[in-house]
Amino acid sequence: MELYHVELLSAALFAIGIYGVLARRNSVLILISIELMLNAVNINAVAYSAFLDPGRLVGQVITIFVITVAAAEVGLAMAIILRLYRTMSTANADEADSMKW
Amino acid sequence: MDASAVAFSFLAVMVIGGALGVVVTRNVAHAALFLLLSLASVGGVFILLVAEFLALVQILIYGGAITIVLLFALMLTRAEEFTNVRDNPQWAVAAVAALSIFGVLGGVILNNKLDTQELAGPSLEELGTELFTNWVIPFEIASLVLLVALIGAIILARAADGDDGQPSDAQDPSSLTDTDGTPGGRS
Amino acid sequence: MMEWAWLIPAMPAIAFFFLATAGRCLPNWSAIAATGTMAVAFIVFWFVLADWFSMSALPEVKAFGFSFDWIKAGGSTFTWGMVIDPISLVMVGLVTAAALGIQIYTWSYMSHEPRFTWFFAVHSLFAAAMLALVLADNLLLLYIAWELVGICSYLLIGFFYDRRPAAEAAKKAFITTRIGDVGLLIGILLLFAKTGTFELSAIFTMVENGGISETVITAAAVLLFLGAIGKSAQFPLHVWLPDAMEGPTPVSALVHSATMVVAGVYLVARMFPFYEHSESAALMVTLIGAFTAVGAAAIALVVTDIKRILAYSTLTDLGFMLFALGAGGLTAGMFHLLIHGFSKAILFLGAGSISHGSGQTDIRQMGGLWRKMPITAVIFGIGALSLGGVPPFGGFFSKDEVITAVFDGRGWGFMAIALLIGFMKALYMGRVFFAVFLGKLKPENEHAHESSMVMLAPMLVFALLALFGGFLALSYTDGYQGFGYFVFEGTHQHPFHLNKGIAIGSIALAVSGFILAWMAYVQGSLKTEPIIKRFSGVHRVLINKYYVDEVYQWVIDKVVLVFGRFIAFFDRAFINDIGINGTGSIVTTTGRFMRYVQSGKLYTYAMGMIVGFLGLALAWWVS
Repeated sequence: MELYHVELLSAALFAIGIYGVLARRNSVLILISIELMLNAVNINAVAYSAFLDPGRLVGQVITIFVITVAAAEVGLAMAIILRLYRTMSTANADEADSMKW
Repeated sequence: MDASAVAFSFLAVMVIGGALGVVVTRNVAHAALFLLLSLASVGGVFILLVAEFLALVQILIYGGAITIVLLFALMLTRAEEFTNVRDNPQWAVAAVAALSIFGVLGGVILNNKLDTQELAGPSLEELGTELFTNWVIPFEIASLVLLVALIGAIILARAADGDDGQPSDAQDPSSLTDTDGTPGGRS
Repeated sequence: MMEWAWLIPAMPAIAFFFLATAGRCLPNWSAIAATGTMAVAFIVFWFVLADWFSMSALPEVKAFGFSFDWIKAGGSTFTWGMVIDPISLVMVGLVTAAALGIQIYTWSYMSHEPRFTWFFAVHSLFAAAMLALVLADNLLLLYIAWELVGICSYLLIGFFYDRRPAAEAAKKAFITTRIGDVGLLIGILLLFAKTGTFELSAIFTMVENGGISETVITAAAVLLFLGAIGKSAQFPLHVWLPDAMEGPTPVSALVHSATMVVAGVYLVARMFPFYEHSESAALMVTLIGAFTAVGAAAIALVVTDIKRILAYSTLTDLGFMLFALGAGGLTAGMFHLLIHGFSKAILFLGAGSISHGSGQTDIRQMGGLWRKMPITAVIFGIGALSLGGVPPFGGFFSKDEVITAVFDGRGWGFMAIALLIGFMKALYMGRVFFAVFLGKLKPENEHAHESSMVMLAPMLVFALLALFGGFLALSYTDGYQGFGYFVFEGTHQHPFHLNKGIAIGSIALAVSGFILAWMAYVQGSLKTEPIIKRFSGVHRVLINKYYVDEVYQWVIDKVVLVFGRFIAFFDRAFINDIGINGTGSIVTTTGRFMRYVQSGKLYTYAMGMIVGFLGLALAWWVS
């Protein structure tokens, strides 16, 4: 297991997350795809910490913060989605387009 | 091929497979379960990278908390059929874009192989000491961020006055105060 | 009391603001408010005058002034102040007296007018602006007041704006004087550019020291005189004044006697050091003054509308004043201004009284009116004799001063012109008086009646002033040694002196003018019809005012409007259609296509981000 193996895994996960964000309509599924991309970043950070960092610490600390922010983000995003659903009767991101021309 | 390589290959397949399942399945509940699979496998990768604490956190927070929250969100917003969500019309373009991104990233990775050291990780004690000495201020700020986010989520998700918590029948977004159910909102 | 002089223009200004805002609610107070404030200003004038005489006993004092800073911008400080010297005192006295008298006259004359209040409001503002104009110690304030006088004249001449001739006349007065105002503004700015100040005393010091070059002095003098030409209705901008008769008679009286038209003469008198230092500008003033005087006097001999005769007589007298000023006779010019102000106020108020009482304005329809309105006849006669230059009326003294000054400054030739003007003045004054009051009373004028005392009282006061004003020229005490010791240029104080030859000549001409008029219009021994027939071409030219209006109309139609149409086309086609609408339609068209980018769908925006990232990666890879 080399560093670039892990990096490739991370890149693949990130690309899949991007596909999910771009292709999905349901806003909850878009949110899930964003979680995938965050995890790709986490894998990268931990891998760099394990393979490159002499102290082996910074990557892990950063990952803890990322997870914290992800948790906050999911909570807020879910509240927004609920509000959207109540107002527009849909959770599909492309149907909430009343502010376009 | 040593054991760790075998384990990594297996976990990598699980991560990628789970992630693909998340983005292609037509059943939203399955999508959440695939997410659980993928994230748990990421936790396994963390173990291989000598980050046992993070693996534990990964399983607890993602596997436990976040996936459950997402499942709740899915169930509370069942606007359409649960098992047959449609993707938007640009999914083919999205696939091309995602592959391009993967190409760019992979190219960069394979052309810039870094000199690595012996694989090692900190002990839990070292991590805790580091977190509460050098990183204590960001740590406290992160806790504040969580608190604010939760308060905000409560305020956002709370039903407004005159809002019964159910979507109004009319599609008109201005019918926020439509009260065909019980008058006076729950709070 | 000197420092209270600001009250003089402030009082009528207060009246204006009071009447313009609250006047609608208190219509009965309008006359009292306007006249009361004007009376206060008049009283303040007397205190200031008394102060002047007590303080100017000191020989070195030539002017009092005070000012305070108004704007500080960059290196320049603009002040707002007043100068009190003989010239401004003469003007303030004339304006306050004339405005006060005319306002009292107006009580009765305009009493049936529904917009009585507005009339008094603008009348007050008119007087206030004129007072500020003559008291201003810097050119900026002077210009502001100058334009205020202009706009007030517009409002008053067009007072009956529902009558088309009145509206047209107001427009004509405003636009014509505006042409001269542009010259005045350029002159003021030129002086500011060269001296860095608007203050008159500083500018005059520079002129005396040679701080300004001769060329600039001449240019500024000519430009300022352009403003005077417009306001004082000199050729070629004289066309507005006869038409200004469309306004109510009290307005004509005020415009012709004390405000508006004398503003130009005042400006030349105030800027007198410029004309002393620029011979060519002074010659221009003389020539234009003389030319206007002769030309207008000739028209006054043939027109038949009483107010128009008086209007052309005003043109003559204004030209006469400028004639004197251009010949270096500051004393003579100002003295004639003062006496003319009183006399012309009488004549206009008298003309108003005549048309008020008889309903006629054409002198051919009048005659023998003295039987019906004897007091008006006497007062009007005093005014006519005064302006005709018959001793001992005021006009004789001032006319004689002017002729003497012209003789001193310009020699025999110009003096002959001045004598000719004097003769013509006597002739048309005799004509208007005899044709209106003597002769046979026409049957349609049987109902004519004398005007009320409210109208006659101010006329009577002015008549006394015109009758005895001439004696101001003489010396009485050490404190007042005659008008020539009061208003003078430089160190040129001089007592009133009669050049016997000139005086006898001018008296003879004046009396013969009146006699000729008497023969033609009363006795009938001199028939006017054969003369008109004999010189029918000349008569036609005069009746048509030398066709100046027609020439201007032609120029406006064929040159100004054609050019204006081209400009309008340019504006419409290039500025509007291409410049403004073009820019707008480019934005609209672009927006019409660009708005499809704003799909409102989240995934298209996300796709934009990704495509942007890929583009950046591509650019990085290519480079």
